[in-house]
Amino acid sequence: MKDKNKQTEINESGSSWKGFIHSLCFMAFGISAFSNPLDKLNLYNILYGVLVGLIFGMIFKFFLKGFLGLFNGKTKKEKGKRAIKTAVDNGMLFSVPFAVMLILATFVLNWSMTVAFISAGIMAVGTATAIEIGKVKGKQEIKNTILTSGMSFVFSFAWTLSYQYLVKAPPLIEGGIALIKTMMSNGGGIV
Amino acid sequence: MENANQSLFRTIFGMMINPSGTIKNALLSTKWYFSVAISGLAFGLFFVQTGLDLYKTGQKSFGFVLLSGGTGILYGIVAIPLIGVLLWAILKMYKSDNDMKTTISSFCLSYSGALVYGILGILFSLVFGWKTSIAFGVTGVLWAIGPMIVGIREMTKGKNGMSIPIATVISGVVLLSWSIFGNL
Repeated sequence: MKDKNKQTEINESGSSWKGFIHSLCFMAFGISAFSNPLDKLNLYNILYGVLVGLIFGMIFKFFLKGFLGLFNGKTKKEKGKRAIKTAVDNGMLFSVPFAVMLILATFVLNWSMTVAFISAGIMAVGTATAIEIGKVKGKQEIKNTILTSGMSFVFSFAWTLSYQYLVKAPPLIEGGIALIKTMMSNGGGIV
Repeated sequence: MENANQSLFRTIFGMMINPSGTIKNALLSTKWYFSVAISGLAFGLFFVQTGLDLYKTGQKSFGFVLLSGGTGILYGIVAIPLIGVLLWAILKMYKSDNDMKTTISSFCLSYSGALVYGILGILFSLVFGWKTSIAFGVTGVLWAIGPMIVGIREMTKGKNGMSIPIATVISGVVLLSWSIFGNL
């Protein structure tokens, strides 16, 4: 019983580290995607990128776990609730090389095609999660491959589609804050 | 001959659908030069598309298209296997028992998906006049990173703690070398 508790503690600690790494990766996705090519260190763009990246990553992980749990009820019963979570956590680690490449491409090579990197990263996470679920079950199932690939495709498509609208927000936020600051420094009125 | 063609087809598309299983099976039967030819062709077609896009907008001559293709083939048959050697050396430091030929073969084979994207890109570029270097070329090469990570994971016996940092270093090297060759 004591050993089981100890093992659970180890798993929990590993899981929190993995969660932290996933968050960093999706923050990197967001920062790179919404960086201003003329002012790479613009604080508004960076903070907005962090926020959008984190929210997107959380929703993607939530849906991946939810749908895999839904279609693998037997595995959840046999191997425990944490089996699906561990598989998704391990699969999402595959976003690390893509996040590093994207940071290099955006901030070192000055490339602007961030969508291709993020889409490829999300698709790789899907493939890896299917492999991890296969490891848990002891066999690869086409059902899980289709499910994770389909889910990754939907999120990759959602990112590509929403990006063109989301990218318009940072200058508006910056402009809005500048306007408020001007109003405050002028004692509440615009002169 | 029919078997050889079937195996070629299965290997290329298998790397796109089930990279883990395909790597295990393909490495038993695939000759190293076949794997190197895959990465050579994949990058050749990718670089040709970049040349074609610039040729279509009148920025470059047709000679540049041929030069781009040659540079891509050179990158695929020299630089990619060399990065494969770097990968083997890193794996050796972690006491992996994979031999150099297998590591290079596996690394080059991961570009099977990029080859399929390259063929489709050339078709769309020549038949429909599309600009395909980003939509097909870059997507194909980036897509190949997924099977590459799976390959590294297989070679490290599924240890994420080893395979993810190694894959990150190798991906960074691929990106930087790709940008250097692209600027030649």
